[in-house]
Amino acid sequence: MDYVSSIKEATVSNASKVVVVTSGKGGVGKTTTSANIATGIALQGKKTVAIDFDVGLRNLDLVMGCERRVVYDFVNVIRNEAKLQQSLIRDKRVENLYVLPASQTRDKDALDAEGVGRVINELKEMGFEYIICDSPAGIEKGAQMAMYFADEAIVVTNPEVSSVRDSDRVLGLLAAKTSRAELGGPGIRTHLLLTRYSPAMVKRGEMLSVADVLELLGIPLLGVIPESKAVLQSSNKGTPAILDETTDVAQAYLDVVYRYLGEERQHRFIEEQKRGFFGRLFG
Amino acid sequence: MTVTQSVAVASRGKPEARRPEPFELKGTMASFTVLRLKSTDLQLVEHQLRAKTSQLPSLFLDAPVLIDLAPLGDEAASGLPLAELARLVRACQMIPVAVAHVPDAQRAAAVDAGLGVWRGPISTRVRAGAEPTAMPSHSGPSVGVAETPGPQPPLSQFNGPVVVTKPVRGGQVVYAQNNDLVVLAPVNPGAQVIADGHLHVYAPMRGRGVAGAQGLPGARIFCQKLEAELLAISGAYVMAEEIPVAMRGRAVQVHLEGGECRLTAL
Repeated sequence: MDYVSSIKEATVSNASKVVVVTSGKGGVGKTTTSANIATGIALQGKKTVAIDFDVGLRNLDLVMGCERRVVYDFVNVIRNEAKLQQSLIRDKRVENLYVLPASQTRDKDALDAEGVGRVINELKEMGFEYIICDSPAGIEKGAQMAMYFADEAIVVTNPEVSSVRDSDRVLGLLAAKTSRAELGGPGIRTHLLLTRYSPAMVKRGEMLSVADVLELLGIPLLGVIPESKAVLQSSNKGTPAILDETTDVAQAYLDVVYRYLGEERQHRFIEEQKRGFFGRLFG
Repeated sequence: MTVTQSVAVASRGKPEARRPEPFELKGTMASFTVLRLKSTDLQLVEHQLRAKTSQLPSLFLDAPVLIDLAPLGDEAASGLPLAELARLVRACQMIPVAVAHVPDAQRAAAVDAGLGVWRGPISTRVRAGAEPTAMPSHSGPSVGVAETPGPQPPLSQFNGPVVVTKPVRGGQVVYAQNNDLVVLAPVNPGAQVIADGHLHVYAPMRGRGVAGAQGLPGARIFCQKLEAELLAISGAYVMAEEIPVAMRGRAVQVHLEGGECRLTAL
């Protein structure tokens, strides 16, 4: 398939949604968010795949706990060295959830629009309803490839100035450097996800508030994920936090997933939680 | 400096067969940078052209240029080495496409130099009432290369003020060439909005704003909510730190007074 028709096919189909999780800045929680949202959507019975675009580093398979089962990767498929089916890793805990891991031995130049478009088309033909693209940090080729075919973008931002500025920059790219923008159709839908949020720090004036961030970025708020140790613990265990419903992070990501799938949910974790007697005693 | 030229060549006849045509020949309205040559001293021309293009390289890089010999008169134009002229324009990283008001004797030379011969009208009217303008760097004797970029009127209904309705985000640049720029959405930090005429921002203005970019001391900047990083008019500028606290976050207009930017609340 030639380049232009691969773009068109990747964009025209409405049966599946291509969602890029992006931020510009590194370390804000793109991979954590990709893993949790992909898992959350799959839990709702939708066939979902998370693609790791961070070629050369590889994190998504670790966070999703399938690193030992990687045989072929995304770049192998792009280069026709392996079939897509061989590279997709099926999650052992959640039905309908798959991971397409990145290659650790290549760099981002291994990605090209034609190859990425072909893989995304093939995933659509396989009946995937949600294709979650975990973008690398930065605004260079890897990030641009991750966003290029997206129908929607979840922009992950931390409540601090440099992260917000980078997200703003990325929103500019999303409006210009995607196939939707180039075809001149409806633009890409963007959602803001504020992560590592600490209401206590906001109260002390040490962190930007939700309102500050919204004022600058001006896109709809998909959710607020509180700063929590549970994120680190779940990453190390290779179990997305959303699977342990007792944590506030899991609750926050579940809210995000429901909201993303169209359910009304009140925003939580924006105000400081009142700690109970035991919390004060043992916290 | 801009010319709008309409060429009607499009054939309205029906294509003979139903085969798809390999091309379309269309009449079009296009904007061109016009180099109005006022001197035959090509060394001086090259020197000043370089100085000018280096001020806004992104604007001039690879821009098609129409060379207008009208200001020279037929006699001076007849002796002009067109190939050399075309070379120096290319050396300034612009692309000469055609030459206008070329004497008949020079037509062959123009074609040899790879230049088209422009016969259409060139309208570079100056807005009534506008002051004559010059780039701030133009203090020396004016042997002007390109026509002193002046305020351009909207030349036709296709070329009115530029209106932007979506946020201008960090890293983005919006430039309204020869025109006013009206922005109806926030201009964020790290973004640049530039107009050759007036600049209006009816939303928070947090980036960099330039009015009269090619030199127009009468240009003004209007901001509904001033939080800019930098504001400049015709080469004079104020940095964020120099903006008085009393003006920040307010509706403000900026104009030049005695060569300096003056901010007044609206």
